[in-house]
Amino acid sequence: MSDVPVFFLHGLAYAGLLFLVSAGLTLIFGMMNVLNFAHAAMYMVGAYLSYTIIMQLTGQFWMALILCPLILFVIGALIERFLLRRVHKYGHVQELLLTFGLAYIITELVKWYWGNYPLAVNVTGFLSGTIPIFGIVYPIYRIFIFGCAVFVGVVMALILFKTRLGIILRAAVNDSEMTNTLGVNVPLVFMGVFAFGTALSGFAGVIAGPLLSTFPGMAQEILLDAFVVIVVGGFGSLGGAVVAALLIGQLQAFGVLLIPKLSVALIYLLMAIVLIVKPSGLFGEEQ
Amino acid sequence: MKQKSISLITILVLFLAGAFMPSLLKQYHLNMLTEIIIFSLYAVSYNLLLGYAGLLSFGHAAFFGLGAFVTAVAIINIPGISLWNVILIGIAATVIAGFVLGGLLLRHKGSYFALLTMAFNALFYAVATKWHSVTGGDDGLSITRPDLNLGFTTIPLNSLTNFYYLTLVIMGLAILFCWYFTHTAMGKTVVLMRENEDRMKFLGYNTNISRLILFTFTGAIAGLAGVFYTFHFQFVSISAVSIDMTTAVLLMAFVGGTKTFWGPILGAFVYIILQNYLSNITDRWPLVMGVIFVLMVLYVPGGLSAVLLNIKQRFFGKKNNDGNKTATPEEMTS
Repeated sequence: MSDVPVFFLHGLAYAGLLFLVSAGLTLIFGMMNVLNFAHAAMYMVGAYLSYTIIMQLTGQFWMALILCPLILFVIGALIERFLLRRVHKYGHVQELLLTFGLAYIITELVKWYWGNYPLAVNVTGFLSGTIPIFGIVYPIYRIFIFGCAVFVGVVMALILFKTRLGIILRAAVNDSEMTNTLGVNVPLVFMGVFAFGTALSGFAGVIAGPLLSTFPGMAQEILLDAFVVIVVGGFGSLGGAVVAALLIGQLQAFGVLLIPKLSVALIYLLMAIVLIVKPSGLFGEEQ
Repeated sequence: MKQKSISLITILVLFLAGAFMPSLLKQYHLNMLTEIIIFSLYAVSYNLLLGYAGLLSFGHAAFFGLGAFVTAVAIINIPGISLWNVILIGIAATVIAGFVLGGLLLRHKGSYFALLTMAFNALFYAVATKWHSVTGGDDGLSITRPDLNLGFTTIPLNSLTNFYYLTLVIMGLAILFCWYFTHTAMGKTVVLMRENEDRMKFLGYNTNISRLILFTFTGAIAGLAGVFYTFHFQFVSISAVSIDMTTAVLLMAFVGGTKTFWGPILGAFVYIILQNYLSNITDRWPLVMGVIFVLMVLYVPGGLSAVLLNIKQRFFGKKNNDGNKTATPEEMTS
């Protein structure tokens, strides 16, 4: 079974990507209690922007990796400030509807500008090579994805648990009103978190481009997988997102290997089981 | 009480108007009207969840699609099945699905519920796509409408006019039944639960069971709409169970207005007509719909029906309390 290490590594790479997408989603959800349906649309924008930057403008993968998150950070901040904050007073249903509508519009705009067909993004240089690992030759790029996810995860954990900003963020998760009363500009914090989450999904989009290629359905595909990660890991739990992403990455990879016909349904099956056994998710707090 | 009779009269007038349509409209428009009626029922069932119970579901297409697929599969695999049995099978399947899914999902509320319904919709979609031998996968299934057997006589349904009348009667009755449902004790419980669930629990209502019954009921109604969707197009593809179908019903209900019973019917009219005309003018009609939707979320959360009621109040004074179901609890239960 020389397939096993290959599929294990495939699973790790996909888990990395899933974590990058769902980390932003779960962060926004945990902080602002907004389930951001537009999150995956931002991921798609990131991927398509990276296509323009890499394949049409500069030819540099690194440029896209830096520029796309910055652009999406600004877009995210604008969306929070001028759209989301407006409907906040009407309650969660309105917020959900707004992000859903935005996702719809963004998807259509992307189809309009970039066309309704897949676009391939290629990496060059060091990242396009392969290295021998576990007795097989494996593309460096997929390992790079996993490395990025670990890096982002560690940085997020350090910020959340070791800095003053992290204390404010965690306090705002627990009780945003009280934090506001204590003199923290909570609306600004929310704007920052939303923008950061959006930037993170843009980052994930750039990384996903060379792996999965960019296509109009990519948003919906990753959105559902990220939702499953959040449900399985527990709503708003970063640690849960790590474990669930790893689990679903492997399930996806070995599902394709062992039972290809059912592989799509496998992750939903896992979700259903978790829902029955522990409705709040593996690491979620009881509601 | 007055509000009630006005709604009832409106529905009856619409019904009568519908009865004269085949002699007034061309084939193309009659086709469109049939589609509108089917989607009206679908939107009304969705609004019982969104508007009345305050549950935002992104999985309504699972029921619609299930009804649609069960219809096609039953007609293909059971030769000589009667129209009534097809409808019964379609409803039975969605009732079972609604009961199981509701039991699983209704433990969660708000955003969680929205997310989970979307995920289960995706599961249905995945099954429909992959289970090629039964659902036809990407190719879909083609069927021929069975004839309508009334016991004493058989009416062929291959003519559009006959099918239009059948749709009008059955969909009309189903919409009436939904309207009746909102006025039963059960329907009122649902509204009160949305307003203050804790108080309802204190008063001794089992809110979980009420919600489950509502969820199953709306699922079955959506399934019935799905059955007629397949009858109408004599074809069903995986798009019937896709997220797009959920988006469509959400747009209809929201654009029409979730605060009134008739809002979603208006929404279905506007949506289908816009879809038909915009898609002639531009390929970007989903974008136009999306922009309309977001603008309405931002500025007109009550939808078109709120706008109409507003205009009515301006001209005729404030006789009615904007005709909605958020009347005070005392009024609702009396």
